[in-house]
Amino acid sequence: MSPTPKKTNPSSDVVLEVKDLVQSYNGRAVLNGLNFKVRKGETFVIMGGSGCGKTTLLRILIGAQKPTSGSVHLFGEDITKAPPQELDRIRLRFGMNFQFGALFQSMTVGENIALPLQEHSQVDPSLIEMIVKMKLELVGLTGFENFKPSELSGGMRKRVGLARALALDPELLFSDEPTSGLDPVMTAVVDQLTLDSTRKIGVTAVVVSHDMTSCFRIATHMLMLGNGPRQGEIIAEGTPEEIRANPDPFLQQFVRGEADGPIAFRLSQDDYLKHLLQEG
Amino acid sequence: MKFSFESLLNAGGSRLTYGLLNLRIFGWILYGCTRPGILVPSQILSQIIRIGVQAIPMASLVSLSVGFILAMQSSTELGKMGANSFIPDLVSLSLMRELGPLLVAIIVVGRSGSAVAAELGTMKVNEEIEALRVMAIDPIRYLVVPRFIALMIMLPCMTIFGNCVGLVGGWAVCTLEMGMPSSFYIMRAMQRPELWDLYSGMIKTAVFAHIIITIACYQGLNVEGGAEGVGRATTAAVVYSILWIIIADTILTGLFYFIL
Repeated sequence: MSPTPKKTNPSSDVVLEVKDLVQSYNGRAVLNGLNFKVRKGETFVIMGGSGCGKTTLLRILIGAQKPTSGSVHLFGEDITKAPPQELDRIRLRFGMNFQFGALFQSMTVGENIALPLQEHSQVDPSLIEMIVKMKLELVGLTGFENFKPSELSGGMRKRVGLARALALDPELLFSDEPTSGLDPVMTAVVDQLTLDSTRKIGVTAVVVSHDMTSCFRIATHMLMLGNGPRQGEIIAEGTPEEIRANPDPFLQQFVRGEADGPIAFRLSQDDYLKHLLQEG
Repeated sequence: MKFSFESLLNAGGSRLTYGLLNLRIFGWILYGCTRPGILVPSQILSQIIRIGVQAIPMASLVSLSVGFILAMQSSTELGKMGANSFIPDLVSLSLMRELGPLLVAIIVVGRSGSAVAAELGTMKVNEEIEALRVMAIDPIRYLVVPRFIALMIMLPCMTIFGNCVGLVGGWAVCTLEMGMPSSFYIMRAMQRPELWDLYSGMIKTAVFAHIIITIACYQGLNVEGGAEGVGRATTAAVVYSILWIIIADTILTGLFYFIL
């Protein structure tokens, strides 16, 4: 069953707003005029096939990349126009859980989680140690403070990445493919952690994923990005129930994971012959 | 226009050219001198050990060998003219002015410059640099500045140490092979060089340290394309560092020879 979205005030509770966002490379639009809002307390899942621009969108949302045009308002401030020092101030209000953890290999698990606290708070080292223990307890890794990231499994690394992203108690959490490459049990564990973050700590989550089971398990709001002929467009947006009920064949093929449908993975026989003749 | 540290520290935004990297390193060092907590002594110390102290055995071995070689090669020619007593002068002057700074710098390029480029490059590939930026931690301040300060401190120290080890190599050949009295060797090797000879070597060393660490960091932070990119960056860091060290050495030697 999908989590129930919290009742929100439509105007004041918007933490992230994307307006007319366009990103193109060499004249080819990867993201084509996106508009959406993420409200406080939501678990907003962005789905889409490989190459649809999910990671590009996430990089723009965290301010790692400037879009070709359009704006991204985080906590009411346009990060596409913010100077670097202003962007750093906004970055302290959100955490980012990278696809492969992006843990510092030269540091221990404890040092990885402690780093943002050491850099951005005036907290006493003994208190930092305690916070690290609490964050590790939150992700079910009590006692792993002195392990190096190379000594952990993929799932454990993702959980440490989540603990580090939550170190400064952010208002907003971005997650890039949090369950990719994990077994079903570990996927359920990571999903539960994302749900715990939103329900218990009150963090708003923006999750980029193409794992349908996981998406429907955690989402309170979903957005589907298109690829191929509908590259960079929003195919559908709504609650998990609305997405399931949406008749769009492109969306339904993706949700059901079917090989045949409007998302073609190879050319039709006629197109293939035409392509060969052109090549000749 | 009003000067602000922020504009200097963020010069160029997300773009990172070699010039901008230098500008931002100096910006952070100046800023760190005015604000406590910006430059972390423990990080600098750890880099001093990794980049400098751990390279001392290799640099010493090379310097010792160069001391041996200089004394043996010069004794062949100077001996014919009965001028073996000038060997200590030649060894000490060559080491202080030229060979000490150059050879220690080349060893440090191969050992520490390549390691820094590979380490930063791997961090870039593994999204660790991106993670620092998202945590509002400037990678130049956190990763580059401690390495820069560490090498600017350690390369002159290693060169002075290398010069001493090289003199020991020359002493071993002169006393054990040629029967020169130790007191004579030490007196000649110490008396002949002037203070300026040491200074000129140290100026070269400071320039070489700057070249090594900035090129290594620049190449590491600009890695693109996975493991292959890390390999390319490491090779480029070593090749460009050696190339620019030799060019800088030629320019500085010319400057000291013709002007000073």
